[in-house]
Amino acid sequence: MNKNVLMLLLAGVVLGGIRPGFSQTLARASQAQQRETTTKVSAKKLKDVLKQLQAHYATDILFFDRNVEGLVVAGDAVNFNANIETNLTTILKPLGLRYKKVKNGGYVVVGKEPVDKPEASTKPTPTIFPAAPEKTLPEPNGLRSPSADAVEAEVEKKKPEDITIQGIVKDDRGESLPGVSIVIKGSQKGTNTDASGRFKLDVPNASATLIFSFVGYEPQEITVGNRTSLDVVLKTDNKTLNEVVVIGYGSIEKKDLTGSIASVGSKTIQELALPRVDQALMGKIAGVQVKPVSGEPGAAPQIRIRGVGSISAGSGPLYVVDGFPISSIQNLNPNDVETIDVLKDASATAIYGSRGSNGVIIINTKRGKSGKAVINFNYQLGFQKIAKRPVYQTGLEEAQHYYDGVRNRNLDERNDVSGPATAWKAPVPQTIVDVLSGKITTNEDPLDAILRTAPQRQYQLSAAGGSDNIRYAVSGEYLNQDGVILNSNFKRFSVRANIDARLSPKLSLKVNFNPSYTDKTNVGGAGAEDLTTYGDLTNNPLYNAIVIPTYQSLFNPDGSYYPFGNGLDAVVTSKNPLALAKEVKGKQKGFGFLGNTNLEYAILKDLKVNVMLGVNLMNIKGSYFKPQMAAFLNELASGTDNASMRLNWITETTLNYNKSFGKHNLTGLLGYTTQRETFESNTLTSNRYPNNLVPTLSAVSGLLTGGSSNVAEWSLVSYLGRVNYNYNSKYYATASVRTDGSSRFGADNKYGLFPSLALAWRVSDENFMKSFRFLNELKLRASYGKTGNNNIGNYDQLATINYEKYVLGATGVGGYSAGRLGNSALTWEKQQQVNAGIDVSFLNNRIALTIDHFRSTNTDLLLNVNVPDITGFNTALKNIGEVKNSGWEFALNTVNVEGKFRWQTDLNFSTYRNKVTKLGPSGDPIISSGNITMIGQPVGVFYGWLTNGIFQTKADLDKGPLWNPGGRDASRVGDVRFVDVSGPKGVPDGIINSFDRTVMGSPYPDFFYGMTNSFSYKNFTLSVSLQGVQGNKVLALSREQSANNRARFRQYAFMNNYWKSEQEPGNGYSVRPNDVPTGNFRGAYSQRFLDDGSYLRINNIAFGYALPDVITRKLTFSAIRLTVTSNNPFLFTNYIGFNPDVSRSDSPLTPGNERYDYPTAKSLIFGINLDF
Amino acid sequence: MKKIIALVAVLSMLTTSCTKDFIEILPVDTITLDLLYKSDKDYQDAVIGIYGIYQDQYQNMYYFGDIRGDDVWDELVKGTPGAVDNFTLSNDDGLLISTWRNYYKAITRANTLLERIKEADVAVVKNKDRHIAEAEFLRALAYFDLVRIFGDVPLVTKTLSIDEAYKTPREKVDKIYDEIIIKDLLDAEAKLPASYSGADLGRATRGAAKALLGKVYMTRKDFTKAEAKLQEVTTMGYNLLANWADLWDYTKNERHSEYIYDIEYEQGLGGEGSVFTNRFTPKVTSMIAFYGIAGSVDDQNTPHQVLFDLFDAKDKRKDITAARGYTDATGKFIPILISSNNMSAYTRKYIVKIPTANDSPANWKVIRYADVLLMYAEALNENGKTSAALPFLNQIRTRAGVTPYAALSQAEMRDKIVLERRMELAFEGHRWFDLVRTGQAFPVMQKYGMKTHNTLWPIPLAQIQLINDRALFPQNPGYD
Repeated sequence: MNKNVLMLLLAGVVLGGIRPGFSQTLARASQAQQRETTTKVSAKKLKDVLKQLQAHYATDILFFDRNVEGLVVAGDAVNFNANIETNLTTILKPLGLRYKKVKNGGYVVVGKEPVDKPEASTKPTPTIFPAAPEKTLPEPNGLRSPSADAVEAEVEKKKPEDITIQGIVKDDRGESLPGVSIVIKGSQKGTNTDASGRFKLDVPNASATLIFSFVGYEPQEITVGNRTSLDVVLKTDNKTLNEVVVIGYGSIEKKDLTGSIASVGSKTIQELALPRVDQALMGKIAGVQVKPVSGEPGAAPQIRIRGVGSISAGSGPLYVVDGFPISSIQNLNPNDVETIDVLKDASATAIYGSRGSNGVIIINTKRGKSGKAVINFNYQLGFQKIAKRPVYQTGLEEAQHYYDGVRNRNLDERNDVSGPATAWKAPVPQTIVDVLSGKITTNEDPLDAILRTAPQRQYQLSAAGGSDNIRYAVSGEYLNQDGVILNSNFKRFSVRANIDARLSPKLSLKVNFNPSYTDKTNVGGAGAEDLTTYGDLTNNPLYNAIVIPTYQSLFNPDGSYYPFGNGLDAVVTSKNPLALAKEVKGKQKGFGFLGNTNLEYAILKDLKVNVMLGVNLMNIKGSYFKPQMAAFLNELASGTDNASMRLNWITETTLNYNKSFGKHNLTGLLGYTTQRETFESNTLTSNRYPNNLVPTLSAVSGLLTGGSSNVAEWSLVSYLGRVNYNYNSKYYATASVRTDGSSRFGADNKYGLFPSLALAWRVSDENFMKSFRFLNELKLRASYGKTGNNNIGNYDQLATINYEKYVLGATGVGGYSAGRLGNSALTWEKQQQVNAGIDVSFLNNRIALTIDHFRSTNTDLLLNVNVPDITGFNTALKNIGEVKNSGWEFALNTVNVEGKFRWQTDLNFSTYRNKVTKLGPSGDPIISSGNITMIGQPVGVFYGWLTNGIFQTKADLDKGPLWNPGGRDASRVGDVRFVDVSGPKGVPDGIINSFDRTVMGSPYPDFFYGMTNSFSYKNFTLSVSLQGVQGNKVLALSREQSANNRARFRQYAFMNNYWKSEQEPGNGYSVRPNDVPTGNFRGAYSQRFLDDGSYLRINNIAFGYALPDVITRKLTFSAIRLTVTSNNPFLFTNYIGFNPDVSRSDSPLTPGNERYDYPTAKSLIFGINLDF
Repeated sequence: MKKIIALVAVLSMLTTSCTKDFIEILPVDTITLDLLYKSDKDYQDAVIGIYGIYQDQYQNMYYFGDIRGDDVWDELVKGTPGAVDNFTLSNDDGLLISTWRNYYKAITRANTLLERIKEADVAVVKNKDRHIAEAEFLRALAYFDLVRIFGDVPLVTKTLSIDEAYKTPREKVDKIYDEIIIKDLLDAEAKLPASYSGADLGRATRGAAKALLGKVYMTRKDFTKAEAKLQEVTTMGYNLLANWADLWDYTKNERHSEYIYDIEYEQGLGGEGSVFTNRFTPKVTSMIAFYGIAGSVDDQNTPHQVLFDLFDAKDKRKDITAARGYTDATGKFIPILISSNNMSAYTRKYIVKIPTANDSPANWKVIRYADVLLMYAEALNENGKTSAALPFLNQIRTRAGVTPYAALSQAEMRDKIVLERRMELAFEGHRWFDLVRTGQAFPVMQKYGMKTHNTLWPIPLAQIQLINDRALFPQNPGYD
């Protein structure tokens, strides 16, 4: 290996600015190319031919413009059937050029002699790239690496006298550029262009090289030679516009995009060091709200794209991994992911038809490129702690509260409270008296016992590389993440092999192979995904740890678990939280396999056929065992054994056509695809364990107390087509259509049609825009499309039966009954969306802004419409609801400082409005606990009693309004004053009852936003991401216990400042404690349960340092990078509970509900990344 | 090259076969209704579906029959029990919603079966008569409860389409008695067997139909027919259990000589147990431990002081019906004190060791022979046969260990029967209905907050709003 070349490359990489996106850009380019392999050799310029070769062989070919400028080759000189080296030799040799193969893949074109072409300065044509019909590659960064010339410059002979050189610098539209920096290479000497773009500079000799650089333009180097006058044209740095964006069933350059799509790249994903890939979307994309609703290891965040468009059929997006639509991405290793692209508008999603209306998230994994293997090892070790911990009462505070509560109860019941408190008619327990008198000093917070600093580790070893014909990217990963609640854990082992093979010049094969294994240890109280076993609040360690008092130790003197509520009457009946966390065994193990094969054949030069076959398998095996013990109130030992298998297979045939006729550019897609899924599951339970020794069901001697097995299947048949047309890269039109037939649809509505149309106009390319120098890109977009949501249940159109059970002869007997009313007209939910967008970038692309506005109408929403109960059914499933969404999305990317120190800011801001416009036949609202879905309001707004402080005085109370006046629980002084909204006659009646419940707040933010600041300086990189929401409320159901003012539950500390007397009214929120509550105080769902959900979270700080080459090379690595990452280090919020991002269930009917959800964590992660 | 083309072509073909069948998938783990109602077993299973509903509904019967009345109160202020006790129940309360829904589910299931079985060949469906009679019995029970709770209700005797349902009016109580309840029970008593054995134990019997019909007549104050019907029941071999306490001993057979018709519950069968034990046990940890009751308990359905006051000290029923504590293993009486706990008394009628929360084997006794005897005595008395009534009343008293009555006047007899019913049948879902039936509800309950319109319960608000036709489907007076 030529040492110089190696040096050159290394220096190029380092001095070129360690652009962190370097490898990403290249890799992405090769990926895109290989999707639409170019075999066309119409270009005659050598430069173009080299680019084609680069694309075709998916490798890097580095060359200097001045070496190849003006050189041409015969159109048929390239033979794509031969290997790259043969071709390079064929082409380069006659031109007096040669190539060198570089160590880590790729080729460098070098001249035998330095080729000086003086005319080049007066003929700047080559620097303008004609809008190519094929994909233009981003220029490899090594292309203009300064040191390359240094290497070559050495061979030049030095001349003593200075040469004065002058000229003008212009941009590629012919406008002169003031302030361009000109430096003589290898020296500090230089100048800047003046206001008219002119410059004058003395150079030491003819071999001196000048570097012209200006922000937003590609730097250019020119060797002076024997010239004295030099006119230079700087080319706009358009790399962002040339980025490839993934669209459904294909990809497209960013400048050619007509829809609304946003991406997150591998660099960001890797930097975040997150265990799940979907977590990387948090705060990154306008219009995409990501809520980490559970901090349980492995738990999925809730993702909503452009609002909530369904009421009962699910609002989560469709995931497509390497072309395969799948239901869960838990098993995916984030480090394998190359890009996540979020399809937002209907023109982008309509190609996914009846599954597109909630948005589509396309994930593509990394692929190899030809060249020497790049082996990478990545290790991360992190520690997590609970991100936010609410403040609860101390033992003493709780005891005082208890005492006052019992006292108030006695006062309410007109009992004498003059004697010792333990002798009152309703006595204060001795324990409380002892705590107050200081006799009991125990004050152990049970939360301390179940929470911990939890480690997380991730190892990954990957290799990528290949030859001309076979390329590979393989990786293996092991993740082990402990949760912040004792004993919760998530492990993942995954392997990925992505192979690309060229079987013949016309035939290529792509294989993705991804087996994985997950092992999850659950504790109770996890998020929405969990089994009902864990959903039981009384088995939730967090709940139990919060409600029990701190004046009682978790342990008996003998070290066994203290059974709460067993004899100590000052303690709420509860299970021992530590015992729940430690003694209950819950596991879910899963084996997943995701694999697909693509065979592509070029029928004609412009026409390819692609056949894809894929399979996704997910096997889950779970077990659960809760032993019988005093700490669990002696409930019988119970166990569950569950298993499930999800098998999903897909076939897909697509035809791709790609052709340019003069300035008309056309691509077309036709496809046919089928998908089928079978899901089988079974669960067995028993509580007939003879003892706690054996946790498996084998111990119950066949005495099962429950069991079921279920089978569910669905299938989908689809035809799809799309045409992308543009004229001269100025005027764009995209039209797509898909038709879906599904087993889920009723017999009367078997097929659905989903068309879309999008138009775009790149105004900035018009001649009349040439004078707007500051503007680099201006594109207007508009789109319309129809999509659907087919999550309507697998068999819900059929009138099926339910199985019933009764007891006869003292034993269970089975029977059946009609389960529901059939509906043969049942159909998918429909969405129509219009989107208007503008992309603008100016000041040499340093500022790029994208604005989108959308309006969508979702109709035929699936609703369980209430029908008169006298039919024997209370609901019938109908397509009847309608919801509208509209919103604005802003994404602003700026390069604030460019140079050695680089500072870049990505900011996004979104707002949307959601409104229900139609519900059941009579428009009845749907009340779901503390939420209501009603016409004119967003889906699932909070519903309950409004409050207006507390009754401070007797006079206050006399004014009312009262709860249940005259009743035992009537409002009293010190109780909540509710707002009298209405009454039986539709007007306020002075009484608080169910008529006074009303809309009391919205779970939806006014807006949400995210911002990432990235800094780089020399070998250091730093990125700081934040995200937040503003203006939403949270319904904190845990206040039913933690803020209920009832004596026996531990309260939030803010409850301490309660109403004591007219003279000591407290904080105006905390009511009079009372052991037997009055005044509807505990009445669920009042404004007292609403909390401000706004927050600002620094969700990631990532610091990286790349060791200098000298050290790296000494250690025989090609790169060493050290990282320190912190996730969720800071949270700014007024919210009182654990995590402001709450959603107990995935149902749109009950958003924003909190109740002892698994708390989220903050983390500090150290990483080392080695390239071999 | 040709091979490759062939390969690609074959692969594409592979992906494009048999489209139509591909998207026709029928469920595997359930079936459509039309595939059923063929064999005798199918019909028998469909009857189970009707019984099943009562298992749900009767878990709530104590709200209607007991908490609403004077002998029981509910100290638990929060929620439905308190509101039922205080007469502040909101017209959209879940109790009303589920009650309305459950009964019409039972009715629909019965109607479906009765419609489909009409055509059934008795050679295939061997127990056709029994299936019909059971469905009729259960349908009558549903309507009987409905009219006693809600008054006028829609009369549904066939499966309804949604459109028809919107047009079905509330019918007068009398019409429902005449056209369905009595008719069904008459047919059922003719067709039902007198008893069952083995795996059929627990189904409705001829005696159950007759006893229920007797109760229907009593409720309609048709004492002549009631006397006759109840007299028939007294000849069917039923007997009071010698030891009253055995009625509440769940280790013993619940289908004893006094059993007429229960809603059946059993523990350990996966959801077939009842909630009564957990609901009615006070939150006293030592007591819960003593009885071996798993899970949390609810402090509901508490005996009121007035109930304590009814009993004679030597009444064997007193300590089980209304207790102030329990006797531990050493024979020591442990009183439940009013401490931090709400409840200072409880009924032991449903206390049994339960290893799994809300999985009690305790049945709900819809009608037992003591009820029949007391009704029979009442019918005789109302028909002027006061002296003939006395022995039946005294049978109950003797068994309870209290002094039998000597001769009574008709008015005295009336009062004593009411009193005896309260002591004998407390916590069995009768008191409120007795109060309403005898016209005593308002006079007795006025001091507990009752208004005159409270004899009926509100129709669930959602149903009123859904049908939205106040002429066809009005709310009960006082609840609008």
